[in-house]
Amino acid sequence: MTTISKKHASKSILYPPGGILMWIIIYLELITFGGVLIAMVLFSKDEPEVFQQSRLLLNTSFGTINTLLLLVSGYFMALTVSTLKAQKIQKSKLYLKLTMLGGFLFLGVKTIEYMDKIDLGLTMGYNTFFSFYWMLTLFHVIHVLVGLVILASVLRTLVKSPEKLILEDVEASATFWHMCDLIWLLLFPLIYLVF
Amino acid sequence: MKQKALLYVLMVLILLTVISAVISNLKIGNATDIIMILAALKFLVVAFYFMELRDAHIFWKLLLIGCLTIFTGLTIII
Repeated sequence: MTTISKKHASKSILYPPGGILMWIIIYLELITFGGVLIAMVLFSKDEPEVFQQSRLLLNTSFGTINTLLLLVSGYFMALTVSTLKAQKIQKSKLYLKLTMLGGFLFLGVKTIEYMDKIDLGLTMGYNTFFSFYWMLTLFHVIHVLVGLVILASVLRTLVKSPEKLILEDVEASATFWHMCDLIWLLLFPLIYLVF
Repeated sequence: MKQKALLYVLMVLILLTVISAVISNLKIGNATDIIMILAALKFLVVAFYFMELRDAHIFWKLLLIGCLTIFTGLTIII
């Protein structure tokens, strides 16, 4: 029987779930995105009408669907880790594929949204709101792409040689994927709902 | 964490997302505050349940809650 190995005990300050390095990255990312989002709110005070009119040009349905896709994908990621801990390799493969499917669907919806905006001429230079919109959402998309590459690498190991898989590595990958959720949960209300 | 519990967590997250979207379409005075508080709540649910932060050392929990409180507070105050 194939078993997945685990190196460290949790509850230690040095070993948060996913590893200390991943959490340092998460805090740096949150500070970066948080800082830009706060700057966006500050700029909106100078041009309230521009931000309000521009926000109405966005399709809230796209944003809501993408939020739901990332949440469902995060749910399957949590299931992947949970089933791996229980040594249920086949189930974890299925859940990991579903996690990645959620990521690909997110990118699909985002592509449709981007094409729509480009067709309408709402590009990065259109106004301040759309400068922030493109900068923040594209930066987030890059994170999702990186997350998918990491998950693909985990899936490859899980399929080809599951005995080589280390649980901490999967937890770190899962933590990165959930970070994409966290960032989106901050972007979604401020870009699509608030102004 | 048990799979059923994770499913309940997902359902709560979906419900909060739908509530946020509905509130944004209502013309109420405190909509921004409510939406940001709901977003912060979702953020914490994902961190504590999906990312298993509830099993981590209290330092990591307080650090995340602190960062989120500062961010949410600033967006509401500004």
